Amino acid sequence: MPAAASGSRTLGRDLLGLALIALVGLGGYWLFPDNLAFLTRVISVALLVLSLDLIVGYCGIASLGQGALYGAGAYAAGIACVHGITDPVLLILIGAAAGAVMGLLMGAIMLRAHGLPQLVLSIAIVQLLHEAANKASSITGGSDGLSGMSPAPLFGVFEFDLWGRSAYLFGLGLLLIVFAVLRFVTRSPFGMICRGLKEDPLRISALGIYAFPVLLNMFVISGTVAGMGGALAAIATQVVGLDSVSFEVSANALVMLVLGGIGHLYGALIGTVIFMALEHIVAAINPFHWMTLVGAVLIAIVLFAPRGLSGTLDELARLLTRNRWGAGR
Amino acid sequence: MTKGFLNRWLPAGALALAGALTLGASAMADTIKVGIIGPFSGPFALQGKNFQAGAEAWLAQNGKSVAGHDIELVYRDLPTANPQQARALAQELIVRDKVQYLGGVYFTPDAMAITPLLKQGNVPLVIFNAATSAIMTSSPLVVRTSFTLSQTTTPLGKAAVERGVKKFVSIVSDYGPGVDAEGAFKKAIEAAGGEVKEAIRIPLNTTEFSPIMQRIRDAGAEGVFAFLPSGPPTLGFVKAFSDTGLKKAGVKLFAPGDLTQESDLPALGEAAAGLITSFHYAVSHESEINKRFVAAGEKAIGAPDLLSFPAVGAYDGLFVISKMIAATAGKQDAEKAVEAVKGLGWESPRGPVKIDPETRHITQTIYLREVAKDAQGRWINKEIASVPEQKDSGLTK
Repeated sequence: MPAAASGSRTLGRDLLGLALIALVGLGGYWLFPDNLAFLTRVISVALLVLSLDLIVGYCGIASLGQGALYGAGAYAAGIACVHGITDPVLLILIGAAAGAVMGLLMGAIMLRAHGLPQLVLSIAIVQLLHEAANKASSITGGSDGLSGMSPAPLFGVFEFDLWGRSAYLFGLGLLLIVFAVLRFVTRSPFGMICRGLKEDPLRISALGIYAFPVLLNMFVISGTVAGMGGALAAIATQVVGLDSVSFEVSANALVMLVLGGIGHLYGALIGTVIFMALEHIVAAINPFHWMTLVGAVLIAIVLFAPRGLSGTLDELARLLTRNRWGAGR
Repeated sequence: MTKGFLNRWLPAGALALAGALTLGASAMADTIKVGIIGPFSGPFALQGKNFQAGAEAWLAQNGKSVAGHDIELVYRDLPTANPQQARALAQELIVRDKVQYLGGVYFTPDAMAITPLLKQGNVPLVIFNAATSAIMTSSPLVVRTSFTLSQTTTPLGKAAVERGVKKFVSIVSDYGPGVDAEGAFKKAIEAAGGEVKEAIRIPLNTTEFSPIMQRIRDAGAEGVFAFLPSGPPTLGFVKAFSDTGLKKAGVKLFAPGDLTQESDLPALGEAAAGLITSFHYAVSHESEINKRFVAAGEKAIGAPDLLSFPAVGAYDGLFVISKMIAATAGKQDAEKAVEAVKGLGWESPRGPVKIDPETRHITQTIYLREVAKDAQGRWINKEIASVPEQKDSGLTK
């Protein structure tokens, strides 16, 4: 197949995908006008899970410490906001920068190890940061949380209020931009090398490519995305708690990613939406035993859809269209 | 194609929205929703269950409607101190569930995260537990029916010196109420002629206490003052204090009653015997109204040993909310509701109480208690002295 044709085809598919996300997002805005605060949180966590997918799904690096990047963004944006920088777009950029710097540090440390030690390092980093945020309570508010933020209206017009309309649309716009950029990044030669490193590192190094800077680059990109997610959460809820830089958040992100399907950007989105919606609905129905129910559903999904929801959808689509394709082959 | 899709679904979405709105409006007609946020799962689940038991005990005794308006309680789970989640839950209760009142809140950080929402949402918050003095200054729409650390701790200073214990090490959880407790105790003990030789703050989520006990031993203090949030941390702390031999060595532990809550006493047993605590409520408090409350509360919670102080905060909290509902004739008017309960006094299961019109915090008797066995052989907090009409002293510097 000629390269140009394949290029325009994937571009068309990407545009369709983005349109679909926008449509679902706007549908959420119209259908659930009372749930926008929750939906904004979903978008914020979706950014975190996307960033984790870049590391786990595209580079094959196991991490249970993604909360470090998310929390860095949240605290950076929160602290900046408390100290008078209130423009929301600027706050997102500050969060992104903080996430990127943290990504650089975390990558530099984690890439020294492989396999399980790497996983342990990621946990150690997020725990250390958690304690640091707790100890530095004069800056971060410690266990009491960082509060007193009042972000300025978006573009000087749209206020971040109790109903969360502007926060949600702001978040949706951010997600669309990030998603489009990530589609581009993951399909670029750089993204391909990352995938190659995941599949067969020996062969990639035989090609003369040194893995460390490539993976470190991906860590920085991942940190940028996670940092934006954290900053969005800080702007939308106007409180930053120690929870945002915790092992729990990191582990939950991994659960959502596995649920949606590792190595697909769409999978990260689907996993986040399904997991958080499930948790949200069950916790509202039964606030006393909801964790048990969520756990049972998760076990069921992992048992019956081991490749994640998006993987299962792919398979289903393949089964449905096999006859058509089969005839061509 | 997307345009056709949009055209087709936009009207459907609008229709669904309109439907949801009318449904919401008709459901609001005469049921007043009260959102209760507390730890209903996880390590602090028992404290949350006490919220539920206290609230349900009140409804069982007084009926589910006030002046013709039905009360519906909406519970939301917040397992540990998590300000971000607290804010999200409160926001959702106000915007989606359309609650007219918020209640509950076990941890101070959570309360601090919720208070900025109250004005915009036109919703009062009645705090059943969170005990830092400063919460009340963060919004004029907050009323509290629990206690503050400053309130419960202050009588300990005099009590300690009377028992000949003057040199103290203070140990508190490093967050709002802990800092309050440390400050209040220091002030009280110095006023009585004692001193705090070393003040230690430990992280809120500490569960291993033997290193702390070693520090107490090394400091060579006569007494220990301690505050941690009631639940697994306090159980662990009191057990460690006894297990490491500090108690046997004659070091005296003085603490607010959070450390010897009734639901922990069966597990602590001898380890807690003789501990002196000061608090606003003991389940064993001798009064007719408390007997009735305990009976209703134990029925609501399911087992007699599980009831402890958060239940009384919730019970009185519902009383305050019922007065608010009556004063506003069921209409949503947060300012008027709060105004109506300023200065309100009543007989609570803990004794005579009053909402201080200035601070909107509860004025109450603080009891000095000793852990001992009652006639039936159950471990209780036996009241040995009382200091009536204690206001919150935490804000007067």
